[in-house]
Amino acid sequence: MIEVSRLVKRHGTKPAVHDVSFTAPAGRVTGFLGPNGAGKSSTLRILLGLDSADSGTAFIDGKPYRALRNPLRTVGSLLEGSGAHPSRTARAHLSWVATSNGISRARVAEVLETVGLSDAARKRVGTFSLGMNQRLGLAAVLLGEPEVLVLDEPVNGLDPLGIRWLREFLRSYAAEGRTVLLSSHLMSELASTADDLVVINHGRIVHSGSVEKVTAGHASLEEAFFALTRKDDPC
Amino acid sequence: MLRYIDAELRKLVSLRAMFVAAGICVVAAPALAVLNAGSIRARLDAGDTSSLADWPTSQAGSEVGLLAAVAAVVLGVFAISSEYAAGASEVGGGRQIVTSLTCVPRRGLLFAAKAIALAVVTAPLAGFGIAAGIAAAQLRLGEYGNSARQLADALGWRPLGAVVYCVCTALLALAITTITRNGLIPLVVLIINSSVVSVSILLSRLTPLAKFLPDAAGLQLFAYNAAIEDPLSPAMGGVVLAVWTAAALLAGATVLVRRDA
Repeated sequence: MIEVSRLVKRHGTKPAVHDVSFTAPAGRVTGFLGPNGAGKSSTLRILLGLDSADSGTAFIDGKPYRALRNPLRTVGSLLEGSGAHPSRTARAHLSWVATSNGISRARVAEVLETVGLSDAARKRVGTFSLGMNQRLGLAAVLLGEPEVLVLDEPVNGLDPLGIRWLREFLRSYAAEGRTVLLSSHLMSELASTADDLVVINHGRIVHSGSVEKVTAGHASLEEAFFALTRKDDPC
Repeated sequence: MLRYIDAELRKLVSLRAMFVAAGICVVAAPALAVLNAGSIRARLDAGDTSSLADWPTSQAGSEVGLLAAVAAVVLGVFAISSEYAAGASEVGGGRQIVTSLTCVPRRGLLFAAKAIALAVVTAPLAGFGIAAGIAAAQLRLGEYGNSARQLADALGWRPLGAVVYCVCTALLALAITTITRNGLIPLVVLIINSSVVSVSILLSRLTPLAKFLPDAAGLQLFAYNAAIEDPLSPAMGGVVLAVWTAAALLAGATVLVRRDA
């Protein structure tokens, strides 16, 4: 379970995240929806201990990320593509990641198989397409068999088959009682994957609840999203 | 902690910079020593012994210590600049630092592991380069070369001092690049400083305090003819270099711990 409470982050004087609170409960897929620049990535970076908040807290299973020992066994996260150096092979990248968290290196071949990258295991990451980078990032997410997934724009660059595979994978992951938080600016994607939605715009949460609740009274999630975010927009 | 060091070692040895550094120590260092020794031998063959006063044959090959230091700079800079190098934007533009910090959120330990891995790789590599340079030069000198025993007597602790200098140089490069996050400027400045012209040596013409700068102090660990007046003793030079290295690492660690990724 993920609990974000009254999070504030400023970049200079400009507030990137303003008083953001939400929870992502276990057993459900929580979609974090908002336009580009709304504060999704800033929030997730604080949640993962990459950036520090000006105030507020972000906990995973009751602890801040930086307090986790062998965090990959608790949280699998995907931000900024694969996060692999281009001169390494996929296997070399996953090997050091596994080593750093005391994960058996036998898992490396397993996760490469799971994401369909077995044939590219010995290729340099620099030769990978966007979709392959994304798959490599997902392979790293799965290495530690984590209870919690935090994914920033995971469908970015995946082909339709990959998108469907990921959707079904995340649904079954949550169905096993685990926590899935994924951000996206793609409404149709979240409408078909998420149970709950947290909608953010200009650094503030404008709505949260089940997908049905957020879309209630609107023809589609897209209509609901524009209705929820329009009142903040000057245009 | 051991698994963090293991992970950092895996990262370091699978970098291209590792090939460059290995090439410098394994190929370039002996090659340079052979070239230099060849010209000494040619002069001795011609009866010209004027260079021996400043540079006896027992020291032939020792000059590759500076080349090993260049390899150390390359390793130290790329060990951390590779973390911050952004991937191509069309494939997500990711940086490895995000992966590193999510794997090991205790940043002080991450930095310590990186420094230890760097020292563990740099020491044997520099040691090999320096030993190979001295051996190659002595072989090239032929009849003018020295036996192992003569060399040990003449060189003493200096080859070891050169290895210590290389390790400290690598750690200084790591610390500085951690602060700048971009490797280009530290790489250019440190390589020029350690191979072409030392800023500290130039400054020593202006102020005697320059001998306390890291490279001027560290060079005493293996220098024969000090390029500065009234240099520190080798032991004192080593201590001063170690203090600089420790201070730089502390600064680098502090910046890494406090800064947003």
